[in-house]
Amino acid sequence: MSAANLQGAIRTPEFSSLVILCVITLLFIVGNGNFLSPLNISNLLAFLPELGIIALAMTLLLTAGEFDLSVGAVFALCPVLMALLVQDTGMDFALALTIGLAVSALIGLCNGILVTKIGISSFLVTLSMLLIVRGAALYITQGFPLKSLEIDHWLVAVLAGDFSIGSFRLYASLWWFIAFTLLAIYILDYSKLGNWITAIGSNRSAAVARGVPADKVKIWLFVMTSVLAGLAGTISALRISSASPVAGTGYELEVIAMVVVGGTALTGGRGTILGTLVGVFMLRAIRNGIVLIGVPGLAYNIFVGAIILAMLVLHAVLQKNAMGGR
Amino acid sequence: MAEELLRLERLNKSFGGLHALVDVSLSIREGEVVALLGDNGAGKSTLIKVISGVHKPGSGQIFVRGAPVEIKSARDAIELGIETIHQDTSLAPDLSIARNLFLGREPVFWPFLGVFAPLNIKFLKRAASDLLKRVGISKKLDADAPVRTLSGGERQSISISRAMHFFAKVIILDEPTNNLGVEETHGVLRFVKEVRDAGHSVIFITHNLHHVFQVADRIIVMRRGEVTAELVVAETDLLTVESIITGADVSELRASAKGKTMKTAGSR
Repeated sequence: MSAANLQGAIRTPEFSSLVILCVITLLFIVGNGNFLSPLNISNLLAFLPELGIIALAMTLLLTAGEFDLSVGAVFALCPVLMALLVQDTGMDFALALTIGLAVSALIGLCNGILVTKIGISSFLVTLSMLLIVRGAALYITQGFPLKSLEIDHWLVAVLAGDFSIGSFRLYASLWWFIAFTLLAIYILDYSKLGNWITAIGSNRSAAVARGVPADKVKIWLFVMTSVLAGLAGTISALRISSASPVAGTGYELEVIAMVVVGGTALTGGRGTILGTLVGVFMLRAIRNGIVLIGVPGLAYNIFVGAIILAMLVLHAVLQKNAMGGR
Repeated sequence: MAEELLRLERLNKSFGGLHALVDVSLSIREGEVVALLGDNGAGKSTLIKVISGVHKPGSGQIFVRGAPVEIKSARDAIELGIETIHQDTSLAPDLSIARNLFLGREPVFWPFLGVFAPLNIKFLKRAASDLLKRVGISKKLDADAPVRTLSGGERQSISISRAMHFFAKVIILDEPTNNLGVEETHGVLRFVKEVRDAGHSVIFITHNLHHVFQVADRIIVMRRGEVTAELVVAETDLLTVESIITGADVSELRASAKGKTMKTAGSR
């Protein structure tokens, strides 16, 4: 039994991704000893949870067969709105944050309703939403980054406070990321909702025929994705004490890349949170390590793209072999 | 005579100007297999969709065990004991057999948590293995295996056994033998008989008249949205049924069938 289980585990996409992650990490360590220095690890872990939180939500959404391109724009709009409310109207930080997240939720709700009730593909709906939200962020700030955020509130420490363990400087966002990861694993693999999410992405009409409220589940997943994107943007803005209307540009694709590199199917039905965790580390490690080993800055997207493509080819080949074996 | 389970009275349904169902009335009794026949576009699938809660009827009334009911959703139909099984569309290929069997009715701990309630995975697996054993398809099937690794016949059997497990009174099989091999087709047909012997009623939609004569007790033929004939299988024969479906003259069919070996029947 254990041999079969082990063989099964090795064949999973998240395992092959993990192997590649280890290989890449090893190459970076050999290439530049500073890759594992406390400073570099701290930098890596400061930024990683912010994209990671969005990637977790995106994994659930992709598993249900939809995706969201507006997360990068929501990442900017939520903190910009919050900062404007605090700085221009003197509003309490907690209330401003609540309003920011509520607006994010509303954006997710619009995405969800347009996709499920009107029946437009999530690609088109969320692409339009990306433009609307990014445009709104630019318009309300007139295109300029806001003044430095100086907010004195206990919530700031909860969201973006920093602390030191040895010579590592870590941020509270890491705890949030760990907590959301555990929650996402629970939801997808062990709860009733996870069963529904997978069923909807795998065969929507079968799920509906069994009485699963597919549209409702999808709408809530869109709302959750948007809220977590807003939260991640807020955490990021508080960490660097600055909210910018162009923050998070291109994050939507980076997040989707993280998720699919981890082994989640873009077409729905197969999602893995552990794979996403590997994908998040992989993409951040690549971006970080490629600079450290001396690839010219302008060339580094070439490498990032090539590595992602190689991963996807690997998954496709493994998937094909697994299917052919039966 | 066995008790009447499902009765449809004067159901009408039209889409725009197209009358998909015209005054359809029929009844299904306990423990019988009724074949629903008709050419493409005869209204069979519309009728099934009305019974299974996908479409609302324009007018008419559905009765379950004599009581008038309204079927507004798939969930309503399932709760009334009506399960519809479509070829290849009733299972989620990426979920395991066990999870598919209980999809929509997952056994959970702490049900007050709603959709966030944790699945009782141990119970799920045990119940699934028991079920597979009871319906006699346990041979090599692992309850943990994803459905995408199964053959078409195995998938049909699992859908049907799921319906049986949840005490569906009426099981509607929409072309269950399409795309199946010879061996698997026999398996499914044998299974249909077992389902009937266990006291469930079956509405069996197919284009293959040979299958009808193997398992059905009664035949209902539809044409252009109307029920045009109701026949008892024991009292009729293949050519008669074929002529009713196509509207051809039965004596002509007999003449043309003479001398030839009859290889195919019905419209495929």
